[in-house]
Amino acid sequence: MIAAVSGPSLRDDVGRFPRWLFGVGVVLSVLFVLFPIYLLVMVSVAPGGAVFGERPALVVTEPTLRFWRRVIERGDLWLPLVKSLTVASATTLAAVLIASPAAYVISRLPIGVRYTLVVGLLVTRMFPEFAIGVSVATRFARLGLVDDYVGLTLAHLIGSLPFIAWILVGTFEGIPRDLEEAAGVDGASRLGTLGRVVFPAAAPGIAVAALFVWLYSWNEFLYARLLTTSQNTLPLQVFQAIDRGAKQQMAAVAAVLVLPILLVVYALQRYLRPGALAGAVKG
Amino acid sequence: MGTARGRSLASRIRQHRVEVALALPLFAYVVLLTVAPIVDTIRLSLTAPLDARFPSLVNYQALFASEVFRTAVLNTVLVALFSLGLQLGVGLGVALILHARFPFRGSVRTVMLLPLGVPTVVAGAVMLLVFSRSGYLNAVLFAFADAANYLPGVEWRFVPLSWTVAGGWRTLLTLAIADMWKVLPVVTLIFLAGLESIPPDVYEAADVDGATRWRRLIRITLPLLAPYATMAIILRAIDAFRIFELALVLAGRVEPVLGTYIWGRYAPPTNDPYTAAAAAISLFGLIIIFIFLYLRLVAARMEVRA
Repeated sequence: MIAAVSGPSLRDDVGRFPRWLFGVGVVLSVLFVLFPIYLLVMVSVAPGGAVFGERPALVVTEPTLRFWRRVIERGDLWLPLVKSLTVASATTLAAVLIASPAAYVISRLPIGVRYTLVVGLLVTRMFPEFAIGVSVATRFARLGLVDDYVGLTLAHLIGSLPFIAWILVGTFEGIPRDLEEAAGVDGASRLGTLGRVVFPAAAPGIAVAALFVWLYSWNEFLYARLLTTSQNTLPLQVFQAIDRGAKQQMAAVAAVLVLPILLVVYALQRYLRPGALAGAVKG
Repeated sequence: MGTARGRSLASRIRQHRVEVALALPLFAYVVLLTVAPIVDTIRLSLTAPLDARFPSLVNYQALFASEVFRTAVLNTVLVALFSLGLQLGVGLGVALILHARFPFRGSVRTVMLLPLGVPTVVAGAVMLLVFSRSGYLNAVLFAFADAANYLPGVEWRFVPLSWTVAGGWRTLLTLAIADMWKVLPVVTLIFLAGLESIPPDVYEAADVDGATRWRRLIRITLPLLAPYATMAIILRAIDAFRIFELALVLAGRVEPVLGTYIWGRYAPPTNDPYTAAAAAISLFGLIIIFIFLYLRLVAARMEVRA
């Protein structure tokens, strides 16, 4: 095991940095990421006064599930949870259906046109969400799309479509045209080629892009805030808890929201390969 | 001439009708639900609130005359620069670490991705726990002070500090660190993609030449990472300038950034969508200026060196 560290490997130049420095780097990075998550869980199970005062304790000696029980029993987390899950999944599905065919077409355009379109999509991301959100909220109010799953899904598509299209253009550029032409020679129709050859080849890239869209929607705050009067999403629920200022309650709400998603990220991490983003850079 | 080109365009569309049909939904969506709302907001920002005069610059004049707005612009630029610097430095360091082979690398990689799954508002809640006056950063610093005081000749009387409401650079730095924590996985993934794209024979050649590891890092790795750094900077700059949820939760009204300033103008009790729109368009302008300057001054020079 240890030999793997010290063995000079040609493909990376870090293997040859002083080993202690390297070890310190690993430990510090892991601590930096985990400390806040540890705090969140720790505070949510801390009894009464343990988290107040000038020097709050860093460990809990007598954990209590009181705050978790209160948050879960009050039942005001289930509807936000259902709403967040539904909207995130619907947004992801719609984003893939709308963006991937278009990304394929863009990837087959001449380089100048392709570049202009991709930059154009990115420029829409440079506007603050507010600049789009307020006008959208006004329109949606007229259409009865406020406090509505469909309305929020449509709003979340605004933020995700340019991003997913941009990543997928890179993915499709990586799929050689010869593949399509070969299928065409074999007598497959245009759409048949796309469905049976091109999109399956792009599936890993589409999966990663979809994951990012899902996380974006799960995360999103401003559109949800503008398009909600009664039925909160989870981020709005957390914000309310912060506003009320009860530390442990807030930590418990936040922990309920975060722990399942950490498990999802953990389970899906092998799909989050850096290579999936590489196509976007080369484009 | 015009008709000839028109006919050829029409025939080209007919020839490629499958492609047009595939691309149409995306572009229709972007035009209807992104471009049209942006045009609305630009119109609103150029409309005088009192007499509905259009076009008029009164909203922009009111903004630029406002001291709070100017503070918000300065704070936004500072937070964005702080947090970009931190993210790129730390992200590159973490990517270099994760690219090497070491025991438990898989588990460490997974841990480093975890903030991806934490919504920004929750990250803000967590950072409140860390940075508030009775927060855990102070608790850790207290512990350090205690330990240091055991050493002979050291007397460190630590005074606890409310980092988030201290104002000034402390609040801005807190925001930048909170932002870095949340987006570190994305920056790291981009740099890892860059590192994995470097063919090993480049290093083999350097080994033959007997280059030291620092020289290898500076002369080979970093220049080859330049396009990835540019992508990371542009992507992250867009979001760093638009920082909103974290600022709303952490900085409150102590140090306004443009994101929270816009929200404050729009929401009750101010209820002024006109200057809010003008401020939103100004924020867009700021981002465009940054990216333009970056591409002109920095990226062009990096390409030359690479």
